[in-house]
Amino acid sequence: MFETRTVLSRVGLQLAVTLGVLPFLIPIYSMVAKSLEGRGWGNYEAVLAVPGFGRFFLNSAIVAGGSIIIIYLATLAAAFAFSKLRIRRKEVYFWMLMAALTLPEVVLIAPLYSTAVALNLLGTFWAVILPIAALQIPFTVLIARGFIDGIPDTLFEAARLDGAGTWRLFWSVLVPMAKPIAVALVVLVLINAWNSYLLPKVFLINDDMGVVTLLPEFFKRQYNDDIPKVLAAAVVTAIPTIVAYILLQKQFERGMAAGAIK
Amino acid sequence: MSNTSIRMRERAAVTGTDREQSRPSRATGPRKRRGASGLLPSGFMWILPALIISVGLIYYSIAYSGFLSFFSWGGGRQHLKPVGLDNYTEIFSDPVFWMAIRNTVIYFVVVFTVQVIGGVLFAAAMHSRVIMANVYKVIIVIPIVVAPATMAPAHIQVWQSDGTLNRILEAIGLGDLAQSWIGQSTTSLLVVILVGCWGSIGFGFILYFGAMTQIDPEMLEAGRIDGAGNFRILFSLVLPNVRSITISLAILNLITALKLFDSVWLITQGGPAHSSEFLGTMIYSETSGASRDLGYASALSIILMLIAVATSIIVQRSSRERAAARPRRGRRAVSEERNV
Repeated sequence: MFETRTVLSRVGLQLAVTLGVLPFLIPIYSMVAKSLEGRGWGNYEAVLAVPGFGRFFLNSAIVAGGSIIIIYLATLAAAFAFSKLRIRRKEVYFWMLMAALTLPEVVLIAPLYSTAVALNLLGTFWAVILPIAALQIPFTVLIARGFIDGIPDTLFEAARLDGAGTWRLFWSVLVPMAKPIAVALVVLVLINAWNSYLLPKVFLINDDMGVVTLLPEFFKRQYNDDIPKVLAAAVVTAIPTIVAYILLQKQFERGMAAGAIK
Repeated sequence: MSNTSIRMRERAAVTGTDREQSRPSRATGPRKRRGASGLLPSGFMWILPALIISVGLIYYSIAYSGFLSFFSWGGGRQHLKPVGLDNYTEIFSDPVFWMAIRNTVIYFVVVFTVQVIGGVLFAAAMHSRVIMANVYKVIIVIPIVVAPATMAPAHIQVWQSDGTLNRILEAIGLGDLAQSWIGQSTTSLLVVILVGCWGSIGFGFILYFGAMTQIDPEMLEAGRIDGAGNFRILFSLVLPNVRSITISLAILNLITALKLFDSVWLITQGGPAHSSEFLGTMIYSETSGASRDLGYASALSIILMLIAVATSIIVQRSSRERAAARPRRGRRAVSEERNV
């Protein structure tokens, strides 16, 4: 994009980009440097040895896994039906769903909190998984429908002529065909669910139900503001996400860009 | 939940509208084939799970919020005390609410501007010949994949009195500028905003980077032959071509600013003296703690929702009006190209 004909301009660009990314590294550098203060790697050993540390990761995996399964099935089924099946007043239902696209989750916490208390769901994973699913589904359905609209109808008609029922169409034609978009959406939901903070903070009140985003607060309580250990915990929490991103770079970026680029 | 989800959903709302409208034939499609539609199996059962989870839960919550907003309620076993419109009148006369609105507007304007400029510059640089471009890319994107809640202790470490920033300032001889950034009401909002910029430039970068791959290189070549410099090309040719992304980002940032919670709560708790208060932190404070009032929180939620819906409609409307004027400019660019 930038034209760099001379060596000087090429070096200049390289230098400018390097200076430009430095601010991005400052918090990461501070985090790692401070986490090694005092007892060095001993901070990490202490953090990893805290009983129940693994539990936070397991709980996050439960929240993310549960959200992914529910969202994946509900989204593909709905997108399939909106795109390829006959529904009376189809667009009315579609827009009922789309109206929820812009809703910030903080709007849900007051009513959901009182409902969760009434239904005894406070302190269960459902109280987090269901709102996450509810907030993500409108978006994932929109993206998946756009993708499935691009799959030719004739493919489904041919399968139907060969005697396939709707279930068969779904599992044997749609699910394999929709794999590229499904992978992107799963990665996206995974990141959103793994990083969610407000909903778990409000609803997962039991001590043994903390998720990874609640770890810094947990360690603040545990260590009375022993900052190096709190930061060591933050580093340990951040590493899986960063590794996952580097490994799934393409899928992740496609998930983010889905729908934005026409 | 991370900002990403809202951003994504919001952007989808924008692009979704365009998509639906550009495809009117879809709505009439099934009717045209009425004779054959008997062959199509009914799909209502298939959309039911999505409708129940999403429409059910969200519409129920909104209705319940609306109901609760006319009461004063401490939650749990305490009884609901009807207060009429008092919650709403109280909000509008609450200086903290106006402080939160002011902070939201400032946050939106600054973060959006920085995200667009930073995103475009980095995306253009990564499309140029830069050594180790992928390493830079990963560094820029890491802030948007790691949870804001996880990064919050790191940001505190940077900005606190004996933190990294003050040490950098002292090292380069600007020690006079060193101050307690988080702890004073004049700079706490600045910290929140810069943390917001840090966490959102990468998102603008990914979207612009993707959109720039679809720009016709011949157009840029034409601009170059006409004597336009790098920055002139970037802002006069590239930026108008990725306008749809910029509009999406505007709405996404609006929603992000309106719902901002994670990093603010963990870094400044909205303080000191409400100087970095946002609607998200206000609502959360009202739903937790001993003096909570779920009725007041619900009224705040309803107002927040109305602002979110109203502003996204306004941005979409105005962008569509301007989009209608756009083809002319496009054609002129083409004819200029031909003249060359």
